[in-house]
Amino acid sequence: MAVRGADIACEEGLAEYDVRWPWNHVAEWGRLRPGLTCVFRVKDEARNLPWVLPPMLAAADHVVLVDNLSTDGTAEVGARVAAECGAAERYTGLVYPHRVSRAGQEHLATEPHSVHSLTHFYNWSFSHVRTTYSMKWDGDMVLTPEGVGVLHDLAWQLENSGAVVAIPRHPLSIVSDSEAWLDLGFRFLEPWIYPMGADFTFVKAFEWEVREFPATSQRIVAPEGLVVELKWIEEDEFAHWTSVADFENSRVPRKRREWQVYRALMEGRGETVEGLVRIQAPPGVHIVDHVVHTWLPQAPRPLVRRVRMDP
Amino acid sequence: MTPVDASASPPIKRRVVFVVGSGRSGTSTMAGTLRTLGMHVPQPEVQADETNPKGFGEPQWVVDFHDELLQRCRVQVSDARPAAWFEAGRLANLEPLRGRLHDWLAGQFEAGGPELVIKDPRLSWFLGLWRSAALRCDATPTYVTMLRPVTEVVGSKQRYYAAKFGEVQRTAAWVNMMLHTERATRGSARAFVRYGDMLHDWTVPVFGLGQAFDLAAVQTAQANDIRAVHSFIDPNLRRVQLTWDDLEVPARLREIAEEAWQHLDRLADPDGDVPAVHDVLDQLRAAYGTLYDEAEAISASTALASHREGRLEGEKAGAASAVVVRRGAQRLPHGVRALVPARVRGWLRRVLRRPGRA
Repeated sequence: MAVRGADIACEEGLAEYDVRWPWNHVAEWGRLRPGLTCVFRVKDEARNLPWVLPPMLAAADHVVLVDNLSTDGTAEVGARVAAECGAAERYTGLVYPHRVSRAGQEHLATEPHSVHSLTHFYNWSFSHVRTTYSMKWDGDMVLTPEGVGVLHDLAWQLENSGAVVAIPRHPLSIVSDSEAWLDLGFRFLEPWIYPMGADFTFVKAFEWEVREFPATSQRIVAPEGLVVELKWIEEDEFAHWTSVADFENSRVPRKRREWQVYRALMEGRGETVEGLVRIQAPPGVHIVDHVVHTWLPQAPRPLVRRVRMDP
Repeated sequence: MTPVDASASPPIKRRVVFVVGSGRSGTSTMAGTLRTLGMHVPQPEVQADETNPKGFGEPQWVVDFHDELLQRCRVQVSDARPAAWFEAGRLANLEPLRGRLHDWLAGQFEAGGPELVIKDPRLSWFLGLWRSAALRCDATPTYVTMLRPVTEVVGSKQRYYAAKFGEVQRTAAWVNMMLHTERATRGSARAFVRYGDMLHDWTVPVFGLGQAFDLAAVQTAQANDIRAVHSFIDPNLRRVQLTWDDLEVPARLREIAEEAWQHLDRLADPDGDVPAVHDVLDQLRAAYGTLYDEAEAISASTALASHREGRLEGEKAGAASAVVVRRGAQRLPHGVRALVPARVRGWLRRVLRRPGRA
């Protein structure tokens, strides 16, 4: 069995894509400095990054964005937005040029240390973090102003705590520039923020990767209303899955909920899904800005009223 | 749920100024000045006393709320532990607390107008909660940190507050409070004001705040308001002026505290709030954390002894209260005791003998 936190050579023998953890190279790179780094692994997120990156750059000490075979100029947009935010020095853009297996059956069939494995992709991406805390983030997740505040505080309060932080997110299915559906019928809660260290690396799970952490780690659950996940209704949200059958039969209820909502909206019957809320932006305000800056801050709490999922 | 009507947003821009920093640094002077110029301090306020004859400018509700939270997370107002920030910060994730504070703050905006001042020496521990409440009220949160030399703050606290803590602990708590308050407000709309500048000529820093935070109360202040502030601020308030020669503080702590003061002081200069200063303050925070860890390790035996002593006292207290209960039971008339079945009486005796159950 591999030593926990050891460097990981990739199956393909490509030295540039071996995982070299910072704690194994202190003499070369120095110790991790206090702070929080956000790691994005993205593919074709150019449309979302102008919403996603500015609040994250305001919240985290550093951002690492790893572009994986984008065809829409994602890497360029990321660098431009960081520069526009005056944060070019706190932004690292990287390229991962290998096709990564899709979640589900394809992932299961891939060796964990192959450059094509989600597990290796994650470990390689996080090996570029140089702060004591790191968080994974998706290229379609937008922080609200309250979310920026919470992460900004955690960036220094977590220091030496060893705690892991879970953050609820709210999927926002966008119909047009002025209309969207917010899913408040299911609690989408995952741990996103972890300390950096040998006990907190990624390992292979059935459908995707999971990040390890000691059972003794304290767990903090952030409040609701901090994050929305953008889902443009005309795009194929499920392209990164091997097959839709994987989705329908997923053991993970949140995946089944996402599929339920997607199907209902595509069939024009969003109002039949319990907990799905239609939101209309006022004239001249984009629906994403309206939800993030006005609707969510003012919405009564609790936001999420869980509905029963079919078994 | 129906879509939110955006036209329901408050028409007047709301602002809240949080006055932060260590106690005895002029925070009451700043809060009182802004109140005198027309900003609203939520009522009722804590009563003035001999330690602060001009009043504290502290809303009683805020003090009570913070006391409750400090008790809940087992943090003291002047707490020197770097880890105390994590303990206090965790409370900011509790939605019931966020909602409670939001409801209270919304009521204050409705009652007192669009520009509020909130001040309390406990405030820095809970800035995350306050920021969230302000944002939900569609208000811009702004922060004024009052600066006063650490030696004067420690000397003033030694003179006016209970002698529970010594100079060393007070110095350490000042370092912990000031360095982390700076970190917590970094990136937000903020200003640093020297207590000495307020007493020397308050018009300069307060005019600057009015411009930087776009405060209508300051920008539209009339002659009578200005006169009222002049009569409110007593230049003789700075009654304690000490140097390191007056305090007995270990060399490394003194070094960190002095360096911290020198660099915090720069933040009050025009264009002084810059990354180069932040970097030094980050290094000082790290150095203080290391020093505290070492001190904690050295004094671990004392902590263990206190823990044992506390446990023993707890056990004694439990035993004593069990005795009291037995005696109390014995005071019951025999006829009443006899009504309790013997089996139940035996069970009750066994339960009541257990330490801590009474």
